[in-house]
Amino acid sequence: MALLEINGLTQRFSGLQALTNFSFSLEERELVGLIGPNGAGKTTAFNVVSGFYVPTEGTIVFDGTPIMGLRPHQVAGLGIARTFQNIRLWNDMPVLDNIRIAQSHWLGYGFWGAVWRSARYRNSEAAVEKKSREVIEMMGLNDVADELPKNLPYGLQRRVELARALSTSPKLLLLDEPAAGLNSADVDGLIKHIRWIHDSFPIAIWMIEHQMKVVMALCRRLCVIDFGRSIADGLPAEVQANPDVIKAYLGDDTL
Amino acid sequence: MQRYTINIIFLAAAVSLVAAAAAGLFDNYILTVLMFMGINIIFASSLNLVNGHMGEFSCGHAGFMCVGAYVGSLLSVVFFTSNKFFGDPLFPPEAAPFLFPLVLILASLAAALFGLIVALPSFHTRDDYLAIITIAANYIIISIVENIDAIGGPRGFSGMKRTMNVMGDVIHLPWMLIWVLIGCFVCITVLYRLVTSTYGKGIPAVCQNEVAAEIMGVNTNKVKIMAFMVSSGLAGMAGVLYAHVYGYVNAQAFNILKSTEGLVMVYLGGMGSISGVILAAVAFTLLVEALRFVIPAANDLLHIWGILPASSELSQIWKWVIIPLILILLMQLRPEGLLGNKELTHVFPRLRRWVSFK
Repeated sequence: MALLEINGLTQRFSGLQALTNFSFSLEERELVGLIGPNGAGKTTAFNVVSGFYVPTEGTIVFDGTPIMGLRPHQVAGLGIARTFQNIRLWNDMPVLDNIRIAQSHWLGYGFWGAVWRSARYRNSEAAVEKKSREVIEMMGLNDVADELPKNLPYGLQRRVELARALSTSPKLLLLDEPAAGLNSADVDGLIKHIRWIHDSFPIAIWMIEHQMKVVMALCRRLCVIDFGRSIADGLPAEVQANPDVIKAYLGDDTL
Repeated sequence: MQRYTINIIFLAAAVSLVAAAAAGLFDNYILTVLMFMGINIIFASSLNLVNGHMGEFSCGHAGFMCVGAYVGSLLSVVFFTSNKFFGDPLFPPEAAPFLFPLVLILASLAAALFGLIVALPSFHTRDDYLAIITIAANYIIISIVENIDAIGGPRGFSGMKRTMNVMGDVIHLPWMLIWVLIGCFVCITVLYRLVTSTYGKGIPAVCQNEVAAEIMGVNTNKVKIMAFMVSSGLAGMAGVLYAHVYGYVNAQAFNILKSTEGLVMVYLGGMGSISGVILAAVAFTLLVEALRFVIPAANDLLHIWGILPASSELSQIWKWVIIPLILILLMQLRPEGLLGNKELTHVFPRLRRWVSFK
């Protein structure tokens, strides 16, 4: 049974059909790349999976649970975490708080607990604190734990976002162009980090990426999407040789 | 020890204030100003939760104060006094000082329910559009109240003075001052504990990036409902206290001008700063009162110097020129407010040795 099973997904935005009968499946602990030309529907696919859009047609089953129509925070609670193409951190709160807030879905206390400072509140906060410190330590963010993300260099902001996603202990991590805007040294660091995450946790990773260096270094399987349709799925070498893929990227030379 | 510094300071200040008031050290005017200061603190800091921490622009906050004021007044009259509408008091007069918190709680809950008028549209509406909804909520509430004849309609509602007298008869203490102080304490404690908890940090997360908040597992709709209800509930508490200090309520006292006063205090103190808004509420109350004396004095001086002709007078209306002018200057010179979004302990790190106020 696959961890993520997408079947016949169609996403229409009034006139525009961003995804057409898109099917995809991902096994546990797999690391798969999603590539395609600009505007192909890659981020839309991620947005549908993370619950941001309700699909027009099709089914998405995650870990045995259908997740179409769930709110994003419910999807997050089931174990899907993601990062964003344009970094979305809470810029006016310290890095530590950014990680802490991502634990919201398992807090186990509400408004009255917070105001009364009940035993459950104290236990839960202690657990959140412990978990957040662990993730910060693990991702090498100790020195910047009390800094505001907006004051950090871009590469470090990417790492904070990755740490935040990881801190929710997800079963599936969606990375939307994690290398966008990084210099080559940062890209090498990122590749190392992602590989290490994939080796150390029971986690499946599905990533959108344009930089072939990253894709080739990490992914053992690639899915190619163009005009909202899946046009190829397989080993990187196969995909690279696929005439449809070449056509999508380079255009049709038969005039 | 640090944890309790603020509580101890507050308790000491509160006890000495009450003792001084009980001993008759303050005249009525000073006592009233002190109480309005407390009410302004509650009003402004509850508004700060929505405008500062959550980053929405609520300009109808006085509407919720109105709900609290009317529900609280009604309950207090029904509970503790006899009149021709509601008959004998529901509770024996001896119980009044102990049951008054019940009035505060019930009225706050009623105001919190009205907070839903704004909270529910906030799921799909943001920023300017939500601001318009808050103004509408303010008007809706005032119109409802003005059109219910049983509670006085446009004439207003009174009778709360008798509740105060009943309490004073049981034990002779400056009861209203005590309730205002307790109200302040409850309000600040609730807000502080909320915004320092991981749960409550969902509020600024919604402000700073709503998409990220929702996708990282924060139930943003629930957070919005919670923030609006807490904010309007606390405003309702301010309303009950206001009504009892005055002994009379009128719906027009809670129109958009009152809401604007709240905004002035929040922006003066710094959005999202609890201590900043408390300071601003104190400063604003003092400023408004000071103008009561400054304007006549200026009037006299201008006449003596011959700048102002004898036929014209500088009236108290100038208050509403000077205060907006201060606001304009503030926005020009220090748009982030007195403390920005920082707390006192960030601005003066030395304080941290004494208190742990994040």
